[in-house]
This record gives sequence, structure tokens and C-alpha cells, in this order.
Amino acid sequence: MNLRVETRTPREGVAVVGLSGEVDVYTSPRVKQEIVDLLNQGATRLVIDVSKVEYLDSTGLGVLIGGLKRAREHDGDLRLICDNPRILRIFEITGLTKIFDIHRTEAEALDGLK
Amino acid sequence: MTKSQPEAVVELSIPSRPEYVGVARLAILGVASRMRFSYDEVEDIRLAVGEACTTVLDRLEGGTDASPIRIRCLIEASRLLVEVTDNIPMPVRTTPPTADLNLADESQLGSVLIRILMDDVATEDDPQSGTHTIRMVKYVAR
Repeated sequence: MNLRVETRTPREGVAVVGLSGEVDVYTSPRVKQEIVDLLNQGATRLVIDVSKVEYLDSTGLGVLIGGLKRAREHDGDLRLICDNPRILRIFEITGLTKIFDIHRTEAEALDGLK
Repeated sequence: MTKSQPEAVVELSIPSRPEYVGVARLAILGVASRMRFSYDEVEDIRLAVGEACTTVLDRLEGGTDASPIRIRCLIEASRLLVEVTDNIPMPVRTTPPTADLNLADESQLGSVLIRILMDDVATEDDPQSGTHTIRMVKYVAR
């Protein structure tokens, strides 16, 4: 399996999606589906943990951008957890650190998420 | 990009399907790891080649195509040249580019990444053979 998706709902309306493995053109449709399903189920505040992602490409970034747009349309939010320098670098060089709210830990990401 | 004699050439042909892009990435990881690149540089090359294959698949827009993606690595003392070639037709764009300035234009992310990650990047379309090539170079630090 190239990608593992593990979702927890620490409280109502909030979901933490842990991704591990490779998020690429092959696997990112699964991430997109998970985000869409969660939003449809009413979890509009999403925290996506990409710390254990070993490979992230533009397709994966596109899915996260799409997720952020959709979450906002539902009056929600999408935050990221990442302490992996390699993955953080991809967000930095693409300028996406300006768009995403990126936190080091889950506690930090959940803090202030209504 | 000047022409010089490669020390070795590694060629790979993959089906134009998402599940095979990982195979191309593994191969390029092997090639780049044999050269005097740092860990970060090897990762940059892997991502750039993955993106080049993904850009080809984007043109299929979820469809399938029988023609493969060809990856050709020319290993030289001072640089690695990677050519990613396909003959999948360019789609005719009917929708104008997004005017949403708040969020990045996802469709351009792949080509932006390739240009940032590699030292030289050129594209070439050959109307006669119908092939499209992305040619990317990463130089070995002195």
C-alpha cells in the first residue's frame, strides 16, 4: 500500500486525517474523496497531518488546496500538521505556506479551531 | 544546453497510467543516487521527474492512452540530463485560466515545481512525430 489514510474525530465537526506514505497522482484521489466525505458528513474543520508523508507532489498539493477551498465554502477550515522538513520545503518553494495554516503538533493545530 | 558525451544512458518506458509514475520515480532515485548529488538534490530530481510524468497524465484528464511515457537519463560527469517524452496530444483548452488570486493555480504547480527543482528546463514539441519532451538538467556541485 502506497498511502495510508487514518481519520479520527476528536470532537463534533472536527476531523484529524493522518496521511502516511506517498501522496501522488495515483493516491491523491483517495485523499480528495476522504476530504469530500468528511465535509459532507459535517466535519467542516479539518486537520490534515502530513508529517508522515514521504512523498508529496503537485497533485497532492492540489487536493489540499481544493480541500481548503471546500472547507471554507462550508464555513469551516483546513489546517495542516507538518514537522517534516522535506515536505515543509515543498510548501515553501511553491509559496503555499502563505495559503495554509501549518502547525508542528496536533495540539497546536486543534487549538483555536472552533 | 550543450551536448556532451554521456557516461551512461538509462532508459525506461512506462504505461501512461498513474500507478506507474512511482516506478519512474524509483528508477530515477536509483540513477541519481549513483551520482555525486546530495540527499536533497536526489529528492529534487525524483520530484521533478515525477512531476514531468504527472504533467503528461494531466493531459489525458483521467482517460487512458496506449502510448507510453519514455524517460531517458543521460549520466554525465558534471550533470544529469533527464528527458521525459510522450506523444499524447495537447488538449484544446476551452476554459480560461482561473482568476482566483487568493489561492494558487493548482494546474500550474507541477511545471512551477520542475523549474524550481532543476537547474535547466526546456520543453520541445515536435509536430511531425507528435512528441512532447521535457528536458531537465541538474548539475553536480563542484
